[in-house]
Amino acid sequence: MTGMRDHLDRLRETDDVVDVTERVHWDGEAEAVAAEATRHDCPVVRFAETPGLAQLASGVYGGPDQFSTGNKEPWSRIDLALGEPSDRSYVDMLDQLVRWGPAPIDEQMVAEPEATVRDGIDLYDLGLPMTRDGVPLVSLGVLAVEVDDTTTWVPIAGRGRRSTELKLSVPRAFAEWCPREADASVLLGVPVAMLLAALQGWTQGQPTPDVPALAAGLSDDPLSTVDGRTIPADAEVRIDGELTVADHRDGDSRDVDGERNRPATADDPTSAATGRGAAWETGCETATVTVETTAIAARESPTIPFSPSGEALADDIHLACLAEAAKLFRRVNNYWGVSPVRWIQIPVEGRLGLCIVSSEILYAGFEWQLANTLFSFSDLFDKVLIVDEQVEPTDLARALDDMWVKAHPANDWVFSESNAPSAAAPAYRDDDSGSRLYINATWDPRWDEEYIAPRVTMETAFSENVLASLADRWDEFGLDDAIRPDRFDDDE
Amino acid sequence: MTADSLRDYLRILEARGELHRIDESVSWNLEASAVTLLLNEANGDVPLFEDVDTARLVGDPYRGSQRRPWDRIALALGLPGDLSYNEYYESVIDRLKDPIEPRTVSPDDAPCKQQVQTGDDVDLLQYPWPYIHAGDGGRYSNLHTLIAPDPDSEWVDWSYHRSMIHDSETSSVLLLAGEQTPNLYYYKYERRDEPMPVALAVGVEPAVQYTSVMWIPTGRNEAEYAGGLKREPIDLVPCETNDLMVPASAELVIEGEILPNERRDEGPFGDYFGYMHGPRRSMPLFRVTGITSREDPIIPFCVEGTGVGETENTTSSMEVGCVGPDATLGLRTAGFDVECCAPWKSTPRTVYVISTEKTDPSYLHDMANFIFTTWGMLHVDFFVFVDGDVNPLDQRAVLEALALHADPDADFHQFGVETMPKVPLNIYQTPTEKGDIQTGTSKAKTAKAYIDATSSDATDQEARRRDSAASDVDRRYRARQILERAGVEIDDLQFAEDEGKR
Repeated sequence: MTGMRDHLDRLRETDDVVDVTERVHWDGEAEAVAAEATRHDCPVVRFAETPGLAQLASGVYGGPDQFSTGNKEPWSRIDLALGEPSDRSYVDMLDQLVRWGPAPIDEQMVAEPEATVRDGIDLYDLGLPMTRDGVPLVSLGVLAVEVDDTTTWVPIAGRGRRSTELKLSVPRAFAEWCPREADASVLLGVPVAMLLAALQGWTQGQPTPDVPALAAGLSDDPLSTVDGRTIPADAEVRIDGELTVADHRDGDSRDVDGERNRPATADDPTSAATGRGAAWETGCETATVTVETTAIAARESPTIPFSPSGEALADDIHLACLAEAAKLFRRVNNYWGVSPVRWIQIPVEGRLGLCIVSSEILYAGFEWQLANTLFSFSDLFDKVLIVDEQVEPTDLARALDDMWVKAHPANDWVFSESNAPSAAAPAYRDDDSGSRLYINATWDPRWDEEYIAPRVTMETAFSENVLASLADRWDEFGLDDAIRPDRFDDDE
Repeated sequence: MTADSLRDYLRILEARGELHRIDESVSWNLEASAVTLLLNEANGDVPLFEDVDTARLVGDPYRGSQRRPWDRIALALGLPGDLSYNEYYESVIDRLKDPIEPRTVSPDDAPCKQQVQTGDDVDLLQYPWPYIHAGDGGRYSNLHTLIAPDPDSEWVDWSYHRSMIHDSETSSVLLLAGEQTPNLYYYKYERRDEPMPVALAVGVEPAVQYTSVMWIPTGRNEAEYAGGLKREPIDLVPCETNDLMVPASAELVIEGEILPNERRDEGPFGDYFGYMHGPRRSMPLFRVTGITSREDPIIPFCVEGTGVGETENTTSSMEVGCVGPDATLGLRTAGFDVECCAPWKSTPRTVYVISTEKTDPSYLHDMANFIFTTWGMLHVDFFVFVDGDVNPLDQRAVLEALALHADPDADFHQFGVETMPKVPLNIYQTPTEKGDIQTGTSKAKTAKAYIDATSSDATDQEARRRDSAASDVDRRYRARQILERAGVEIDDLQFAEDEGKR
């Protein structure tokens, strides 16, 4: 288990944090700095001097793109936040996310939450980060609501704010499950397992309201209760209040967003169509709720993590990509009674618009089944790249290299008829339907072995004798000096 | 300062601490290439093997880093080391637009004439041509300039075709019809049953090496473009056994002729795709008539197949640093509104990315049509068009454009299914489809495609305009200053080269 605070400490131990100690305002300025840091693969940025009660941090679940660095993976910070060694493989991480399931939470309950109520402060005093358009950046948090003895945590995205009211986007399925009015808590600075569990519970098809149990299957983070609601005990900030579902199943539908990729409007600058909404909103019908604040609780020197809105490598995109990849990995393997798929990735670089799958091709035509199964299980993307098992999930450049050189430009770029449902991530269609594309960059299982071109690698290009000789003569050749580890630092 | 010769360039590298001399005896038989591959993968120093039988070898001398593949090319041209990709491209383009005539020097003043062998003294095998990958068909010279004349004009083509050594006086040369020198051979010399006089200039000065890989238009004097790059005339000297002029600064010059209707085996070879492949094919025979060289010559070579994914080698770096600027200039000269044309960094030669402000579908079709019909396009299977403000060398940004802006319904355009020519070096055709036919093209035709990954959506374009507004630039500038004051090493991050244009 790793609470957000512990996670920040571990990031600091790995020199992955930079402290901004000059005064930076939460009203747009912090977001601008975070956006610039995100855009250029900077370390996590911690803002020590913002005017509000809370300190701010950006990039805590973000990471670099795979093209720009060789020794850090895009998902490394999430993996670290899951409490695992940073050197475990992508597939191991995926396996952990896939294996999770509901688990009892009783043993995780502790007496009191660490955040305590602060008297006399409002949302302005708290210092929530805002976009330059005046939208609160609360995409890295959850909303906790208890209904009929079941507490759920739901992903949220800021829509608006007054001194005592937050306007939030939530999955529409939650708005339909929840009563029109309820007590609720907005929780910020929570463990990553809770963010992932909330995505799994509410954004991936069949709603699973018991999100705390899902999170417990992944992590043993301490829990507590507030007014009957189960909450993460070590949340940095908790905003308690009265929830109103602006559009409810029993009422009118004036405020329902209710559709994906809605067009941008002047008074809704977070619309997913502009690329400035939270990533989870991309594949999920949304609704709007308001939370009228009754109390604000915070830990000592609280830190609020935030994700700069709409940036290519922002934290929320990393989380959404990973959650979707895990869902697909779980569903695809064993789908045919066997598990030919080695890994699945929704590369954060493609912003949910591309899926890459590494698999054994069981028989001629299996690639068609595999690609279309993925299309069936996810409506985020309309492009799938299939690569051989030998391609490593940590080598996106090589996977794409295979797309360009190994797939026949005519025969292996396969387009469906144009009546497939449009995908959610791309924004190029007004119509509800269009073509899908999969690219088969695997060897044809019907080919003779002699047709298969081996890769040029140290192991294939040189015999064991040559490699052994190289190892023997390493010092003689002075190769340690030639490799110069500092070059990696300069270059990456 | 521009490097005057390969060894001058190596001295510059050494002064920067980027050359690694290996004084111990090293074998040309896989050992030198194994060390080079290792250093390529580690982005280490450039290895200079001082003791390889009778000569020296240098492995992948122009290899840059994956982040800035052009850096060592710029170094040899005397360009500043901190140029953004955009500044670098425009600097090279400016030089190419201002060619300088070569000058002729006497053999006494030509370093490449320090040693001369002709007649029975010729012995190709006295040089340590590297055996690069286990499984290669033979030992190769693969980093040189092939000089060949048009029999019907004064034009002399400089190009870059690998050559597999067979014995003391013959090699086979990979000539694939569709490119300039192969076309001269197959459709002029061979049809007339005449040998094509050639010279392989090995270890030429950097500006000459760079020009050899560029797509210089037919009929132009390539030495002038090399002079333009160098900002000084290239010194040329006559060959001993034919009438060709060769760069006087070369380490080694192999003179001879490519015979009509004579073939020798070529390949398999670990090629630029990153794969070992065949089949072993028949290619034209090069018969050597003379060899001249410097004292203690240095033979450069490239470990092909390593310049893919996250690793660079000389070929992949020259593709970005030489072919890209030249292709950009070529498209602009042809009248197309192109911000930049650059290869997909981790896949040299097969796919190019073009950024353009003009995104009208018919305009893009016309440009793709133009490109695919030009010579040298046999290797290229894909062009990807992106918006003018997207850096074609930023693979993340291009992948995002492909994922979010390229509609499978409307933006993927193939020129037929089995309509277009293809070199037999690909790995997606069967050996039967690649064939083994006379002119070195595949037997089966294939398809080529262009992808419109520009943002045609009005809302998105509006968002881009908003993002690029002056206020946003100021805001971002202030944000960078805050990060810099916080201790972020701006030079170590991808700031300048990604966003020079913005």
